[in-house]
Amino acid sequence: MSVNLLSFALRSLSLGCRTVSSQIASLPAASGVSAALTGRRSFTTSACDLQNQSLWKQRDKYSVRPIGVKKTGGRDYTGRIITHRIGGGHKQRYRTIDFQRLRYEPGKEEQPIVEKVVEVRYDPCRSADIALVAGGSRKRWIVATENMEAGDTIRTSSAIGRMAVLAKEGDSHPLGALPVGTLVNNLELYPGKGAQYIRAAGTCGVLLRKVNGTAIVQLPSKHQIQVLETCMVTVGKVSNVDHNKRVIGKAGRNRWLGIRPSSGLWQRKGGWAGRKIRPLPPMKSFINLPSVSAKS
Amino acid sequence: MIPHGRRCLSTSSCLYGKILLRKKPRVVHEIAGVEPITYADRMHFVPGLARPKFPSWERGWKEPNHYQSPKLEDMPLYKDKPCYIFNQRTNVLEGVRQALWLSKSVLIKGLPAQIVTLAEDPANQIESQDETVQNAIKNSRLWDTTEHRPPRERFCSLLLNRLLHLCGGLQVSHPELAKRILAEKYSLAVTWRRGEDLFQVRGQNGLLLNSMTPLPVLAGQEQIQSTADQALETFYPIAPTIDLQKTHVYLENHDTGFRVDYPYPYAHTLFLMEMGNTPKLLPEQLCAKMVMFTFGNALARAQALYGKEPSVLEKPIVVQSVATNGRLFQFVVFQLNTTDLQSDSGVKNLVWVDEDQPLYEFAKVKPLIKKKVVQVPAGLSGYQPKTFQKFLALYLHGAA
Repeated sequence: MSVNLLSFALRSLSLGCRTVSSQIASLPAASGVSAALTGRRSFTTSACDLQNQSLWKQRDKYSVRPIGVKKTGGRDYTGRIITHRIGGGHKQRYRTIDFQRLRYEPGKEEQPIVEKVVEVRYDPCRSADIALVAGGSRKRWIVATENMEAGDTIRTSSAIGRMAVLAKEGDSHPLGALPVGTLVNNLELYPGKGAQYIRAAGTCGVLLRKVNGTAIVQLPSKHQIQVLETCMVTVGKVSNVDHNKRVIGKAGRNRWLGIRPSSGLWQRKGGWAGRKIRPLPPMKSFINLPSVSAKS
Repeated sequence: MIPHGRRCLSTSSCLYGKILLRKKPRVVHEIAGVEPITYADRMHFVPGLARPKFPSWERGWKEPNHYQSPKLEDMPLYKDKPCYIFNQRTNVLEGVRQALWLSKSVLIKGLPAQIVTLAEDPANQIESQDETVQNAIKNSRLWDTTEHRPPRERFCSLLLNRLLHLCGGLQVSHPELAKRILAEKYSLAVTWRRGEDLFQVRGQNGLLLNSMTPLPVLAGQEQIQSTADQALETFYPIAPTIDLQKTHVYLENHDTGFRVDYPYPYAHTLFLMEMGNTPKLLPEQLCAKMVMFTFGNALARAQALYGKEPSVLEKPIVVQSVATNGRLFQFVVFQLNTTDLQSDSGVKNLVWVDEDQPLYEFAKVKPLIKKKVVQVPAGLSGYQPKTFQKFLALYLHGAA
């Protein structure tokens, strides 16, 4: 029977008949989704489950509107728990954050971006607060810094001059333009890729030194990394500084946050447990040429 | 309605009927000078040879079930220059300031003096006005249904219709009120240039009261000329085109919404109802929407009368507007002095805005009792007679 199904599916790939659909969906019939879209019948596989799981976050166009989140409960497409202690919790809507501060509006490239903070609000999807900023004719969400308030003006510029810029909190400059010793957050590893480090509430990194074309930053974990000096970074500490001082208070609050209780089974601790005092690992450097996909 | 040929029937029920995202086709790289060898000649798939590309088949006639619209660039109305459209769903970020910049106008708080005197004149009032208006409010809020809280969509339109009916009852003493008619669900279309950008106001606005005679001019020539010295407020770094629908496919339309031989050609008052569903507007943004639509109506009328050439009008056109959410009323009077909106200097238009006038405070079916103390009694409470006087004055303006 499986041979019959296979031959039936592959028969639909014959060239003579479907010239329109051959242009549109060039994938083989093993993927049940696209084949069924063009009217061809085929058998189901798990490819449609894989696609459906993250369908809610696949949007081409940026929008300020919050998007409904599909919770996974720590389970993947097979249905098994991959990460424990995740599940339940209050419903959340995801606000698409723009981590690439240096995103020019189409038509206004190479000018410093000036934006006004419209509102600073709580984000259920992260520990930091987020800010809605508007500049030109577009609005976007960014991670708010410590003293950001509605009505502030923030600048983003990609210029690296000989003199270091006087860093104002909330502004975004390349690492090469900032004076040594500034507190920074939302650090890019490769220029243009978007901020990946130092985004949690209250965190900040320190710019340690600048060495011909690269800059060395100390992360909140005291690790040091070397990145190109054209990587964009925001000045200041991330908002919601007292996040680590909060007291959960009761088990129920953890459940509201979507954290399920841990397993009650007593397990003998191995070599991983306990405090370790050891020297810092060597400095990691990210200055090799980034891959093609990092630019998109 | 899922078009034919795009339903997922062979997958699981949770995907049934959904239109899933189309996967991007595999990228085929073309190398110049090298032709790929395809299995087209052999008429069957051969592993190792390239997939042939056949010319796309055109049906020849348009079938609605299998129609694929052309790309934006191929559409006949595509233009390189974008157009920013203000429609009934627009919710501008900067509110009234943005509306003022777009319509090149100057704001004056409060209603103009002529309307204020009309409101206070006792001869223009309905007999036992307060009682009849309170009856109308109670009718729409309390006595309409047996539910505890009738939905806003219901009582807002009911209240507005009842108030208009009351005002229309004054035709006995003011015969010119008979030369008016209400119209709803009409589509407005008007285009103008401002700076280097093209703007449009489009779509259905709300309830429009049309009349046979135009409204009298409110501001004298000196006031109009003095607006030429006032500067327009800009809000750097936000551009005035924010939140407007930007499109490259448009038609530069000028349409008042009515035919040329319509017997009631002059727009008198626009009634907007804000029910808070699509989208919920703050009072500032509701005023901005009112200003933009009154400006659109006035500009459409001016372009129909005097042509599309931008110029300073000798007889300014006045359009009024009332917006309500069932309790709060906002009044806007717009006087169009010039259609020359390209530059920022010169004579400007005038806008009088009177916002957040409550007609009553509470209209509850059940009293609000907290800790055995009655905070808000049942029935209508906190009635403000001045709001209805202003409403009536705006209605009578031009006929009294």
